[in-house]
Amino acid sequence: MKWWQIKKRDADLEQELQSDLELEEEEQRENGVPSEEARYAARRALGNTTLIREQTHEAWGSAAFEHLSQDIRYAIRQLLRSPGFTAVTVLTLALGIGATTAIFTLVCDVMLRPLPFARADRLVTVEEKVTEWSNIYPTLPVSANHFSFWQRHSRSFDSMTLLQQFPVPLGSSDRPQQVEVMWATPGIFSVLQVQPSLGRAYTVSEGQKGNEHVAVLMYDLWHQRFNADPGVLGKTIQLDGAPYTIVGVMPRSFHVPSMQWSSAIGETDRSRPVEVLAPLAFSKERLAEEMGDLNYFGLARLNPGVSVSAATADLDGLQHTISENLAANEKATLSVALTPFQDTLVGNNRKPLIILLAAAACLLLVGCVNVTNLLLARAVGRRQQMAVAAALGASRAEMVRMAIREIVVLATAGGGLGILLASGMVPAMQRYLPPALNFRGPLHVDWIGAGCALLLAFIASLLAGAAPALMISRTAPFEVLHSESRLAGESRGNRRARRALVGIEVAVSVALVLMTGLLTASLVRLMSVDRGFTTERTITATLELPGKSYQDDQHRTAFYKTVLEHVDRLPGVEHAALASGLPLDGDDWGDMARVQGDSRPDTQLPIENVRWVSPDYFSTIHLEVIAGRIFSPGEWGKNLALVSEKTAKTLWPGRNPIGRQFSLGNPATEKPFTVIGIVRDARTVSLAKPDPMLIYVPYWYRTEGTAGLMVRTRQEPSEMADTIRKTIWSVDGSVPVPEVRALTGVVADSVANQRFEMYLLLLFAASALFLAGLGVYGVVTYSVVQRNREIGLRMALGAQRASVYRLVLRDGLLPVAGGAVVGIVLAFGSARMVSSLLFQVSPYDPAVAVGAVCVLLAVGTTACLLPARRAASVDPMRALRTE
Amino acid sequence: MSSMAKQAQQRVGLLQGTLDMLVLRTLLYGPAHGHQIGKHIQRTTNEFLQMQHGSLYPALHRLEQRGWVSAKWETAPDRNREFKYYRLTDKGRKQLLVEESQWKQMAEAVARVMWPAAGES
Repeated sequence: MKWWQIKKRDADLEQELQSDLELEEEEQRENGVPSEEARYAARRALGNTTLIREQTHEAWGSAAFEHLSQDIRYAIRQLLRSPGFTAVTVLTLALGIGATTAIFTLVCDVMLRPLPFARADRLVTVEEKVTEWSNIYPTLPVSANHFSFWQRHSRSFDSMTLLQQFPVPLGSSDRPQQVEVMWATPGIFSVLQVQPSLGRAYTVSEGQKGNEHVAVLMYDLWHQRFNADPGVLGKTIQLDGAPYTIVGVMPRSFHVPSMQWSSAIGETDRSRPVEVLAPLAFSKERLAEEMGDLNYFGLARLNPGVSVSAATADLDGLQHTISENLAANEKATLSVALTPFQDTLVGNNRKPLIILLAAAACLLLVGCVNVTNLLLARAVGRRQQMAVAAALGASRAEMVRMAIREIVVLATAGGGLGILLASGMVPAMQRYLPPALNFRGPLHVDWIGAGCALLLAFIASLLAGAAPALMISRTAPFEVLHSESRLAGESRGNRRARRALVGIEVAVSVALVLMTGLLTASLVRLMSVDRGFTTERTITATLELPGKSYQDDQHRTAFYKTVLEHVDRLPGVEHAALASGLPLDGDDWGDMARVQGDSRPDTQLPIENVRWVSPDYFSTIHLEVIAGRIFSPGEWGKNLALVSEKTAKTLWPGRNPIGRQFSLGNPATEKPFTVIGIVRDARTVSLAKPDPMLIYVPYWYRTEGTAGLMVRTRQEPSEMADTIRKTIWSVDGSVPVPEVRALTGVVADSVANQRFEMYLLLLFAASALFLAGLGVYGVVTYSVVQRNREIGLRMALGAQRASVYRLVLRDGLLPVAGGAVVGIVLAFGSARMVSSLLFQVSPYDPAVAVGAVCVLLAVGTTACLLPARRAASVDPMRALRTE
Repeated sequence: MSSMAKQAQQRVGLLQGTLDMLVLRTLLYGPAHGHQIGKHIQRTTNEFLQMQHGSLYPALHRLEQRGWVSAKWETAPDRNREFKYYRLTDKGRKQLLVEESQWKQMAEAVARVMWPAAGES
C-alpha cells in the first residue's frame, strides 16, 4: 500500500462503516426500537470505529509507515515543548556537522578527487636533482637542454611538456590589462589529453623559436574579453607587445592549476587563473646551456604500465649520460625526482587540512557528547513517565523507539542545518585555498558533502542516542514507581556516566584550545619576529613592463630612473626605491658568485640570491647597512655590490669583504663587482626563515621587466595609492600596475594561510569551549537540583555557605580536572603532527599548556558558580519539606 | 509486557483465523456487503459469537489485500443506493478449502483429547 493511497482508502472505509451503521439503525427501528435509541444500538453493534480503522490500516500493511510518521509527529511535539533544549541541541549538531562537512568537502576536493584530466594518475611532475647543490636546493626545475635530451631518448613517457607561467600585458592601448599566460611546449595537449573545443592546438613546429606567435585562449577569457565570438580564430592579439594569432579556444571544462615551480627560497602565491596558452619556445643559446637554465616546470604522462620508479630509473640513466658529458667547469651529478601530479599540487597543504578536519571532527564529538548529556538529563527527568508506560505494557523495543525518535529528529534537523551552514562556509574557505589547488572553479557542497553530513548526523544520533536509549530500556517500572521520593537522585552509574562525558568534552576541548594556542603563539611570534626591515608608512606597487617596448636593461633602467625621479618629487614622499621584488613576495634570481682566485667548477660554488635595487632601497625599508656604504647615483654604471652578513661570512670567512671583488657569470667576459657594504641579515624572503645568502647589485647593472616600487611617506600611505599609479602612468601609460598596497599588507599576506588556519581553529576551539562549559553547567545544575534535600539537610545541621560552594565546585570541577589531564596527554601525543607548522614554539610549550588548562578551569568554574549559588541559597526548611 | 495484554492478543489471533474462514464460507452463497455478512454470521451462530460488526471490516480488508475476495461498490438490487460488495475469488475458494480442512483436523484433534470414549467407539 502506497502512502498516498491511504487517504482515499480511508474515506472508502469510512463510507463502508457509515452504511453499515445506517443499515443497522434501520433494522433496529424496524424491530420497533425508538429512533434515538436505535442509533446508539447501531453504534454498539458496530463497535469502536477508531479501533476498527486502526486494525484495518494494519491489514493494509501501512502500520509501519504510520508508526514512523506518528513517531516523528510525536517527537516534534515533544521537542517543541522544550524549545530551549531543542534549539541548543540542533544548533550544536548543526555547528559540528556543518564545520566537518565544509572541511571534508575541501579535503575531498583537494586530496581525494582525481584531477580533471584523463587518466590523471599517470601524470607526474619532473624535477631535477643536482647532488652538489642538494643542501640548498633539494630539487630544481628542469632545464630545456636536459628536457630535449629526455624527449629524444626516454621510453617511459607518452608525452612530456615544459611550462612557465607569468602574466604579460594584453593589447597595445594605454593602460593594458595583464593576462596570465601558461607558456608551454606543444606537448601540453597530449600530456593533459585535451584539445581545443574551437580551432586547434599549436603544433610542434609552432613550438620552435621564430614560429611561436600563436595562442590558444582559455574559455573564460574568450567568453569575457571576446564575447564568445567564434570568429576570433585567426585574429591577432598583442601579448607582451608582440602579435600572436589565435588558433584555438579551450573547452569550458578545462582548467589548469597554477604551475609555478615553488622554489626553496620564498614562495609566490599568485592566485590568477591561467587565461592564455602560448608556446614556450627556446632559442638555440638556451638549448645549448647545459647547466645554466634550470627554470621550467616539467610535467609528463607515463606510458601505460610504467611505474613512477621505473620512469625515474629511465631518466636517471639519461641524466647520468648528460652528467658525463658536462664541461669541466660545470661538472655536476644529475638525477631526477618524479612526483605524482596531485601530490605535487597538494604539497605541504596536506597537514593543515588534515589538522583542520580533525579539529572539526573534535568539535562534532564535543557536540555529540553534550547532546548525550542533555538527553540523559532529559531521560532521567522522564523516568516516571517511562515507568508508567512500561507498567502499562509498552515493550522494550517500543521504549527504545520512544527514546531514539527524538534524537533522530534532532539529528536530521541538525544535519540539514549543517548542510546549509557548510554551503555557506565552503565558498568563504575556498578563497584561502592556495592557488595551486584552487583551480577547478567555484566549490560547493555536492552530493558527497551532503552524504557526509547525513552520515555524520546518523553517527551523531547513534553516539548521542545510545546511552539514553539504554538507560530507558532498562527502566524497571516497579522500582521507579515504588521509590519513596519523586526527587530521589539519579542512579550512581548514571551520574558517573555523565561525569565521564563531561570529562571527554573537557579533554577534547583542552586539546583544541592547546592546538589553537600553539598556532596563535606561533603566528604572533612570526609577526613580531625581528624581520630586519620596517613597514610603517610605506606603500608599494608592482610594475610589469611590456616586453616589446622594454626589451633590454637600457630601456628598463631608463624607465625606472624616470619613475623614481617623479615619485621622489611627490609631496609627502620621504624615500622611494625600486627593487627586483617586494619584501616577502618572492625572489627568483639565483646566481653563483665567484670570488677572485677561486677556480672550482660552477656547480661547486655557493648559490646566492641576487637582488637588483635602487640606491634608496636600504633607507626606504630601513634595511640596516652595518658596514661600508651604499652606492650613490653618482656612481652610475659602476659594478658595485652590497652583500649580506651571511654572504660575507661564506665568501670571505674571517676577512673584511669590503673592497674585495667577485664576479657573476663568466669571469673572463663579465666585469667583476666590488663589495662596498655589508647588509644585516634579515627576513625579506620569508618570515619563517632567515634569509639565504644575498647580494644586492645596483639597478643600472641589471633589471627585469617586473619590479617592486616601495615608497615611504610622511602621511597615511593608503592616500597615496592613486597618486602613485598616476605618476607611473605619467611616465608610460602602457605599463600595467597590477597591485598598489601598503607594505604592512604585503607582510600580512605572506602569512595569510597560517592566519586562516588559526582563525578556523580559534572558531572551533571557542565553540568547543562553550559547549564544554554548557556541559559542565548542565551536569552540575542537575546534580544540585537532585541533591536539594541533602544540601538542605547539611545547612540545617550548620553547614556554611562556603562549604556548600566547595561541595558543588568539587563536584563539578573533578571531571574538568580529569578531562584536562587527559586532554594535555592527547595533545602532547599528537605533538609531532603539528610541530612542523609551528614557528619558534615547541609543541610542548608549558606556558601554552598551562594556559589551555587555565582557560578550561575558568570556563568550568564559571559554569559551576551559577548552580553553586543556587545551592547555597537553598532554604533548609523548604528543601526538607518538599516531597 | 503485561500478561493481560498477551491474553487479549491470543484471543484475537484465534478469532482472526476463524473469522476469515466464516467470512469466506458466507461469501460462497454469492456477493454480499459487510452488513449482510455480519448479520448472516450472527444469525447462523445464534448470536453465539457475540461479535461486533466492526471487527468484520479489518478481516474483510485483510482478505481483499490477500486477493481472496474482491470488492466493488455496486447498487443494491432492492434499494437505490450503493454498497461495497465483496465476492469470493478463485484463490479465495481454494483458501476456504484449506482452512476448512485445517479446522476440521483441529476440531477432531481437540475432540479426541476431550472425549476419548466417543472417539474410540
